[in-house]
Amino acid sequence: MAIAPEPAGRPDTAPAAQAPLLVVEDIVKRFATPDGELIAVDHVSFDVKPGEFVGVIGPSGCGKSTLFNIIGGLLDDYEGTVRVAGERVRGPHPAIGMIFQEESTFPWRSVIDNVAFPLEIAGMGRRERHERARHFVKLVGLDGFERRYPAQLSGGMRQRVSMARTLASEPKILLMDEPFASLDEQTRLLLGDKVLQIQQQLAQTTLLITHNITEAVQLADRILVMTYRPGRIKRVVDIALPRPRSSQIVSSEAFGRHVAQIWSDLREEASLGLQDEDSAYGRERRA
Amino acid sequence: MSAANPGARHFPLLVGMGALSAFFAGIEILVRIDVINRFIVPMPSQVIASFERVIVEEDVVARFWLTFQEAFIAGAMIAIVGISLGILLYRVEILRRATETWVAAMASAPTVLIYPLFLVIFGRSMWTIVMMGFVAGLPPVILKTIEGLAGTRRVLIEVGRSFNLTARQIFTKIMLPSALPTIFVGVRLGLIFTLINVVGVEFLINFGGLGQLINDLAERYDLAGTYASIAFVILVSVFFFVVTEWVEKCLVPER
Amino acid sequence: MKGGAAPAISAAEVRRLRIVIVLVVLAAWELVARSGLLYRDVVPALPTIARALYALLAGGEFYWHLGVTAGEVAAGMTIGGIGGLAVGLLLGANRFLSEAFERFLYYLGPTPKIIFFPIMIMWFGVGVSSKIAMGALSCFFPVALSTAAGMRQIDRVLIRVGHSFRANAWQMATKVYLPAMRHPVINGVRLGLGVAIIGTLLAETKLSNRGVGFLVIQAYSLFDMPRMYAMLIVLFVVAIGVNALVGRLGGLDAIKRP
Repeated sequence: MAIAPEPAGRPDTAPAAQAPLLVVEDIVKRFATPDGELIAVDHVSFDVKPGEFVGVIGPSGCGKSTLFNIIGGLLDDYEGTVRVAGERVRGPHPAIGMIFQEESTFPWRSVIDNVAFPLEIAGMGRRERHERARHFVKLVGLDGFERRYPAQLSGGMRQRVSMARTLASEPKILLMDEPFASLDEQTRLLLGDKVLQIQQQLAQTTLLITHNITEAVQLADRILVMTYRPGRIKRVVDIALPRPRSSQIVSSEAFGRHVAQIWSDLREEASLGLQDEDSAYGRERRA
Repeated sequence: MSAANPGARHFPLLVGMGALSAFFAGIEILVRIDVINRFIVPMPSQVIASFERVIVEEDVVARFWLTFQEAFIAGAMIAIVGISLGILLYRVEILRRATETWVAAMASAPTVLIYPLFLVIFGRSMWTIVMMGFVAGLPPVILKTIEGLAGTRRVLIEVGRSFNLTARQIFTKIMLPSALPTIFVGVRLGLIFTLINVVGVEFLINFGGLGQLINDLAERYDLAGTYASIAFVILVSVFFFVVTEWVEKCLVPER
Repeated sequence: MKGGAAPAISAAEVRRLRIVIVLVVLAAWELVARSGLLYRDVVPALPTIARALYALLAGGEFYWHLGVTAGEVAAGMTIGGIGGLAVGLLLGANRFLSEAFERFLYYLGPTPKIIFFPIMIMWFGVGVSSKIAMGALSCFFPVALSTAAGMRQIDRVLIRVGHSFRANAWQMATKVYLPAMRHPVINGVRLGLGVAIIGTLLAETKLSNRGVGFLVIQAYSLFDMPRMYAMLIVLFVVAIGVNALVGRLGGLDAIKRP
């Protein structure tokens, strides 16, 4: 496999010069809980440039999923602003495509009808939307399974259906929340390859939210490491791994260095989370 | 998230109760100003006033006791016979495959209509009513017993095997306890059908407990008394279901 | 779950056992009928029942009464079903309404509806209307409760998916909510249909001059047992058939499209 020194097939070689596609500014999100106020996301700001792949990593409970819902426009009760292509996000924005952590295919729709869903919502005719959908089914490597129903597919295949469905809406930026959380390690690596390949092919700007270090380093150009409660950005790590990449990169020495570096940042945060969890369970038992 | 403050938790309940009271108050007013015919709908205040009369004069306690006995005997019968048949059908697979759909069909058939048959056999007696309660409540107990036993997680059975349990021990120590919650759902469902049929048949054949009371008062055209006795039956069935829920919670604590 | 060592049982063996069971039951019945253990005619001989069944199905009167009952059940189902669906959607969509009012439905649901029949007679008279009211009252509760529960059970992520693709309210209802909750709703309708049939027939046996329930109780009071059995057989077959049909229409046995 040829490893190109320069990122190939991407819109420009100097992303820094370009206006950012996604701007997240000073996001604060508070929740009321029985034990008082909880700040889930605390003054988080960052931006994503066109064609860039950014990963957000943090321990469980650091407010990653809250951030995902805010950027996706599914949560509106927060402070700060989110802009996509200069436009303020209020409610789900057509330029943002979301891929959810949970199993999210519609069990009553076949693969092709699942993928065609956003086109159907947009009012596209049956024949045309099926044709378009078929292209995206092929892109995720599920051609031949168009007429199957989600119950007849494996977990990894279903997650690819979700991915194709979101890609079919042709978002400017792809927003993924732990898309492979429910899959086993090997499937996860192989699907990571699929994501890399698609991202390469479509020059897809992507924001990936995850707690999996390997996954983040395998996929991202830049990783934002978050703290545990309140969720702040602790450090920004540039991943200087060549593109195009594949899952084979996990065995390289540079990869290991990045993983080790991020783990040393994350370790402390994750153990804070674990302590909190223990005391929460203890409290419940005593009550 | 456990309740932030207890006042907020009870607020919907208060609103529900308030709406119910407001509804009855509205009926009261509409009847008083003759918008609603008072010979069709009595005033709620009259109904409440007739509660005491119905309880004292119509011997409600004895009637309740009779209905309770009928429901209790039928309930015990469906539990014993239903669970045994369920275990039998589960253990003898060919029997299960031959008859499970029949049992399911019985559950959806209007079995209550065979009450004239029991009327012929047992006459207008308590046993007609008990048998109707039994017939109606049996199928769900059988079906849920099979479902519960068949739904025992494989890994739990394998745990049993790894401890060298005998087949009998696996059944009594693992499968039966693991099926208990589902079996209980079946018994509760069966009890609901039993109670419906017991009171219903009492009403239809004009015999015995609470069902007959409603029939009597309606035939005497005692309007307020009829409504009061219906309200009493509703209270009894609410009480009955609250008690079964509570028993279920005690017997199946992990739920 | 099959026992590990048990040999597989073929469909033919199951069929054979079924036939044996049916034959044994029929033979036992016939034996009791001929022995005269029970009162004469309580257990009539099989040929007598067969003749009564033939007479019932060959005559036109029965179909007219069956039509009356079917019409009452259909009308009751329509009224009670639509009412139940509307109330169920409200309770399922609004947590506050559900916490305030659902407990009333939950406790009223299992009370025997037939006890309301005297009131229904007072309100709607002794004719067809009071039977329709009984059917509607019976099927309202299961439909409302299972619709409300079905709506709450919808996988939240599917709703988020719908919103993320900016589906409007109508699209959300027709493309996400309704397909996602069709199983519980169909189940509620099935349950509702069962109790509506029972409610209507019982009301007919209590006080009526038409309908199958009336015919059954008439046969009983004339002590025409064979005719009563014949009608019960037809009723059971019809009720089980209709129930299975509703289940089939709802696509409950397939993962395929509705």
